[in-house]
Amino acid sequence: MSTEIKEQEIQDNEIVLQDREVLNQQDQSYWGIVKRQFKKNRLAVWSLRMVYFIIFIGLFADFIANDKPLYCKYQGESYFPVVKTYLVDLGLDKWPRELAIVSWKEIELESAVWPPIPYSPTEMDKYNVQYVGPFDEQRRIEQSRWRHWMGTDQIGRDVLAGMVHGTRIAMMVGIIAMAISSIIGIFFGAIAGYFGDTRLKVSRIRLVLNIIFIFLAFYYAFGMRSFVLGDAINDSMGSFAGQLGISVLLFLVMGIIPNILTIPLKRIPFLGKQVTIPADIIVSRLIEILVSIPRLLLILAIVAIAKPSIFLVMVIIGVTSWTGIARFLRGELLKVRSLQYIEAAQSLGFQEARIIFRHAIPNSLTSVLIVIAFGIAGAILIEAGLSFLGIGVQADVVTWGKLLNLSRQAPEAWWLAIFPGFAIFVTVTIFNLLGEGLNDALDPRLKQ
Amino acid sequence: MFTYVLKRVLYFIPTLFIISLFTFSLSKMAPGDPVELRLQGGMQGQTGNLDTKLAGEKAYFEMSDKLGLDKPTFYITLSSAAIPDTLYRIQKKNDRSTIKRLIRKYGNWDEISEYYHALKDLENATYTIERNLGNAENLRLIRDNANVLYLTHEDPRITRLIARMDTAVKVPVDYVVDSQTVTDNSMIALNDDIERVKAAYVAVKQNATPAKNYIPVLSWYGFDNQYHTWLFGDIPWFGKSKDPTKTSLGFFRGDFGESYLDGRPVKSILYEAIKYTMILNIISVFIAYIISIPMGVETAVQKDTTFDRISTTMLFILYSLPSFWIATLCVVFITTPEYGMDLFPTYGVSSSTLADDAGFWTRFKDSAYHFILPVFCLTYGSFAFISRQMRGGMLSVIRQDYIRTAQAKGLDKAKVVWKHAFRNSLIPIITLFANLFPLMISGSVIIEYIFNIPGMGRVSYEAVVARNYPVLYTVFMFSAILTMVGILVSDIMYAVVDPRISFSKKTG
Repeated sequence: MSTEIKEQEIQDNEIVLQDREVLNQQDQSYWGIVKRQFKKNRLAVWSLRMVYFIIFIGLFADFIANDKPLYCKYQGESYFPVVKTYLVDLGLDKWPRELAIVSWKEIELESAVWPPIPYSPTEMDKYNVQYVGPFDEQRRIEQSRWRHWMGTDQIGRDVLAGMVHGTRIAMMVGIIAMAISSIIGIFFGAIAGYFGDTRLKVSRIRLVLNIIFIFLAFYYAFGMRSFVLGDAINDSMGSFAGQLGISVLLFLVMGIIPNILTIPLKRIPFLGKQVTIPADIIVSRLIEILVSIPRLLLILAIVAIAKPSIFLVMVIIGVTSWTGIARFLRGELLKVRSLQYIEAAQSLGFQEARIIFRHAIPNSLTSVLIVIAFGIAGAILIEAGLSFLGIGVQADVVTWGKLLNLSRQAPEAWWLAIFPGFAIFVTVTIFNLLGEGLNDALDPRLKQ
Repeated sequence: MFTYVLKRVLYFIPTLFIISLFTFSLSKMAPGDPVELRLQGGMQGQTGNLDTKLAGEKAYFEMSDKLGLDKPTFYITLSSAAIPDTLYRIQKKNDRSTIKRLIRKYGNWDEISEYYHALKDLENATYTIERNLGNAENLRLIRDNANVLYLTHEDPRITRLIARMDTAVKVPVDYVVDSQTVTDNSMIALNDDIERVKAAYVAVKQNATPAKNYIPVLSWYGFDNQYHTWLFGDIPWFGKSKDPTKTSLGFFRGDFGESYLDGRPVKSILYEAIKYTMILNIISVFIAYIISIPMGVETAVQKDTTFDRISTTMLFILYSLPSFWIATLCVVFITTPEYGMDLFPTYGVSSSTLADDAGFWTRFKDSAYHFILPVFCLTYGSFAFISRQMRGGMLSVIRQDYIRTAQAKGLDKAKVVWKHAFRNSLIPIITLFANLFPLMISGSVIIEYIFNIPGMGRVSYEAVVARNYPVLYTVFMFSAILTMVGILVSDIMYAVVDPRISFSKKTG
């Protein structure tokens, strides 16, 4: 009897110990819990893997589909033409004269390693023009190595190569546009959510000086430099970015001046009197204005006055789509603000900026990830729609939307209608699924 | 309640103001000279005599006046002390921009103005010289160079061009008539003019005061400006206009300007287009709501059943399917004989074979046939969106205690769901109504482009491609106002169904 009880006790203890061990092994931090919750959602986990896969294709598009060999031996010398192209583009290397403008498929190579898809998206296969399908007989192609696996278009461009390089554009659109909109959205959302309507107090003199100096800064940084900026945008995107950087820097420097001037002037009682700025109302109004403009039309209206450039499209999508992030962060911060640890930080006398950036935002930021995931899907969709319409994309850039549009001229080329559209659909879906998965993982109701 | 509605309506005004300001500045940033776009290159052919040149300029100025471009741009401008506040009177956009660049560089308006006028006089003086075989080439050279100079601001280039004109004036030309060599010296008549240009340009460089550019100046132009005219017109709102030069009624009185392409009023273009977009969107919103509300409720009630799982997955897939892909697939596969499924018409809103005297019923059937695919492609996305929202709203209501109480009381299920839960879960769906507006207008652009429906979307697409800015920016303003009205209406509806909203807004 007693031995039985003892055995039972020992067993119980072991179970408890095991449980404890499991608990100790499991990461009990916030991220640990989120990760475990996320992993329970098989669809979301698979989406995340797909995202890695797509990013991989985007990053290595030049090594996957290219009309230059990865490695080759020509006249006794070894070359890595794909890598060398990067170096030449960066100005670090030069082609030998006989190889500067050469079609690599037509010269005699002693040996060569070709990329998996030995075509570039803009290369024209003159033997397979006029829409050759994946299952059709392809002229002058004996080995399956050189087949056009997804067919060609009217002028003999390989569709699969276009798909691979389109992946890169789609990824860039998603990432760059969302990076821009996250920065703007987090800035405005943080101000509105943390300060609300009553907590942003500044002295009269600071307010007045700042308003005056914003106009002055705008005048000196952008008004005075309007021709410089205008010439730069016609020159190249790179020089425009440089000039714009100078302007922004000038603007920021001008923005510091009034705040330095404030320090002595604040001592005068009349000027130093505090006024409350309704930050939440101002930001909410701004969001409301932006929301009431249909986004595609807004982008069309801006793109119409600029030269076609895929980077411009990315920037515009980013600048116009921050409202979702700002709204979400605002809501989260309104919740977080009333929590006790913020009060504790305030009573410890921490500065507002430190409380916002070190404590309040990191705790609300995880949920912003959800909006970002959905936002990437939206940005990719909008860019695909724009390039489908043929608006805002240079002629030499191949995107999924452009490929899809080609099928409108040739209903017989079903491969042009199916593959690019399917790629857009899959990408949009995996980012939506990722958003859903994050939403579930971060949902406090499911956390117990 | 009333105060809340009033407050919302008053909020409408600054938003509208900012959007109109934004639209206006975009239209001002558009490349190209609006007058020349409108005249379609009517200014070319300046090699003729003075009369044709003056006629061309007159046409330019008349059009410029008609478009209201002879007015200052805005109520106020922030510019520099170097720029005169009457610069807007130089009507040609490209000339004005060159002069601005010169001012930015040298900062002395008086000298630059003198240089500009000297150049103009030189060009006009060339028309007074009789053309002969000897001087024809030089006359052309001076006119061409003068026209280039109006648009040149780089110093070395200006110097070079002036030097070239100087030689053309001063060096006599020998030419052969009837095997006799004649020396032409008629160009020397322009000597005074060219000397004036040279002196003026030297003065510009010598008396440069670029520092003036760094002094910002705020100038006030009053209400007679381009922005004000664009919005409110220059004809008085009440009473009759006495001034025949004032022709604009303004945006708020339905005068949206004229198309660059054919001079048609934008109003009539939009009037024709808007009905197609309205029909498309009203039908598709209606269908979307009719199907998705019961769908959302049913899936929420039957949560975690097979029906719920399948339909939720289906809705998710529908939601992620790009409408332009589905539309393209429809066009490629079921509207052409290529794959043996020529079921629907490919493009347009009516058959070209339709007789002119066809009865209403035949016409109706024909149009309906054409509208099936576009409506389907527009609908399924919003249908999936609303269903998912409805399901979410319903789920959060069903969890609540009062529903459990109702069930515990023994009410039958239909009553619990439709009477108690449904009503409260409907509130978020109302706000969706406002979100649908911008979605639909954007969606229409691509769907109308694919199916070739001459609605607002197609009009705006064509305006972008043809750079027809008056049409584009009117559509832009219009859809923004429509969306704002949608948001306003849904906010008021929200306040009607949920009195807490207006109360909390009033106090907080």
